[in-house]
Amino acid sequence: MSLVDSMSMAKPNLEAREKILVKLHGRELLNCFQCMKCTSGCTALKLLELKPHEIEKLVNLGLVDELASSDIIWTCVTCLKCVQRCPQKASPYHVIMALRNLTVEREAKVPEAYMKAVSLILESGLAETAQKVATRTAQVCSRENLELPKISGPGASFQAVFLKALEER
Amino acid sequence: MKAAVFWGCRILTGQYGYEMSVREVLPKLDVELTDLREAICCGDPVKSVNDFAANYLGARVLALANHTGLCDMLVPCNRCHFVISEAKHLLETDEKTRSKVIGLLKEENLEYNPNVRIWHTIDLLHDCIGLNSIKKKIVKPLKDLKLAMHYGCQILRYDSLGRVDDAENPRKLDELVEILGAESLDYAEKLDCCGLALVYSHIDSALSLAGSKLKAIQALNVDGLIISCPDCGFMFDAKQKDSASVVGAKLNIPVLYYTQLLGLALSITQDKLGLHLNQSPVDQLLTKVSV
Repeated sequence: MSLVDSMSMAKPNLEAREKILVKLHGRELLNCFQCMKCTSGCTALKLLELKPHEIEKLVNLGLVDELASSDIIWTCVTCLKCVQRCPQKASPYHVIMALRNLTVEREAKVPEAYMKAVSLILESGLAETAQKVATRTAQVCSRENLELPKISGPGASFQAVFLKALEER
Repeated sequence: MKAAVFWGCRILTGQYGYEMSVREVLPKLDVELTDLREAICCGDPVKSVNDFAANYLGARVLALANHTGLCDMLVPCNRCHFVISEAKHLLETDEKTRSKVIGLLKEENLEYNPNVRIWHTIDLLHDCIGLNSIKKKIVKPLKDLKLAMHYGCQILRYDSLGRVDDAENPRKLDELVEILGAESLDYAEKLDCCGLALVYSHIDSALSLAGSKLKAIQALNVDGLIISCPDCGFMFDAKQKDSASVVGAKLNIPVLYYTQLLGLALSITQDKLGLHLNQSPVDQLLTKVSV
């Protein structure tokens, strides 16, 4: 083990890096040559300082642990510009999603809304509950008032099978 | 034509104007819609938690579409369209994932069919129904309207997945608007994101993204902004006031779904198109149209 990041004293975790590569269903991440096209067009760069090319480099070096516990991976807006524009198909968006998945596996800090969405899906099939909405003249309407069809959720077998799917790594 | 329709969570739970206008407009253009027997999530929020489970949900939607016996499925939400397309792509290219997913679907007596075609509102109207057929049905041309388009990110990118329109220079929505007699305006921020994905973790940044784009659109002096994604509708219409206060601007841009605009040109009443539900100041545009 020779490499240590002198700013953070972080050490590479090659096992975690391999896990990310498996999650990517391909090894294109290794082809990143730091052209920064992803970062120069990143929607989240200006406001939240997300720099996808740095994430690519850190994962390539095996410095995964700090990334997986960092808030920065949750700032991606999923606009997919980086996937579209990457000349090496190294796809920062997919790397970020793989890092998020790893964070969940490690039971580290995840924005509450994501876990809430999963439990709502388990409960009802949908990630949100039907809202009553107000018209511009402040009349409250529901799906029923608007003569929209009733929402029918998934059958009884769904919950158990979806739980099984969630256990897959 | 007959098509199955998968709405996704956001349309079914709040963006009712989009659902109402799609249900009104498409039958007028000879498209008969069949709802899937179950309303479920496409898997989008699950992508951040467990990619396999997200792809399972995407494949499950395709299996439900297969159950209708139809080979075409309309997915009017950009995000759902992307998530289901990516699940389909993965099942086509990754043997291991495919066999695992098909096994789980079997436990629910569902069968995956790789031949179900996925359409979005824009390409269904533009490529499948066609501009000429739409033009023939127009009762009330929308003259003297200058409009800005917002396509939304996930139907445009990334193109190796097969998307609805060109990733860097999309034209289909512009053409669909022009066919109604209105003018579509190009602008530098056209491909900018609405910010929706940040609503749950970084709300101010999300509103700032929506607000900055709306501010740029307001400077164009257009009569309205045309969208075709429920996430973008949520940000630009429902959250327009909140976005305005975050970017420190006074925003008053009418935001309409394309299907609502098309409905007006087909002379469908405003209530049926859910136009009373838009939170942005659409009345100024509606007055101009009804003169």
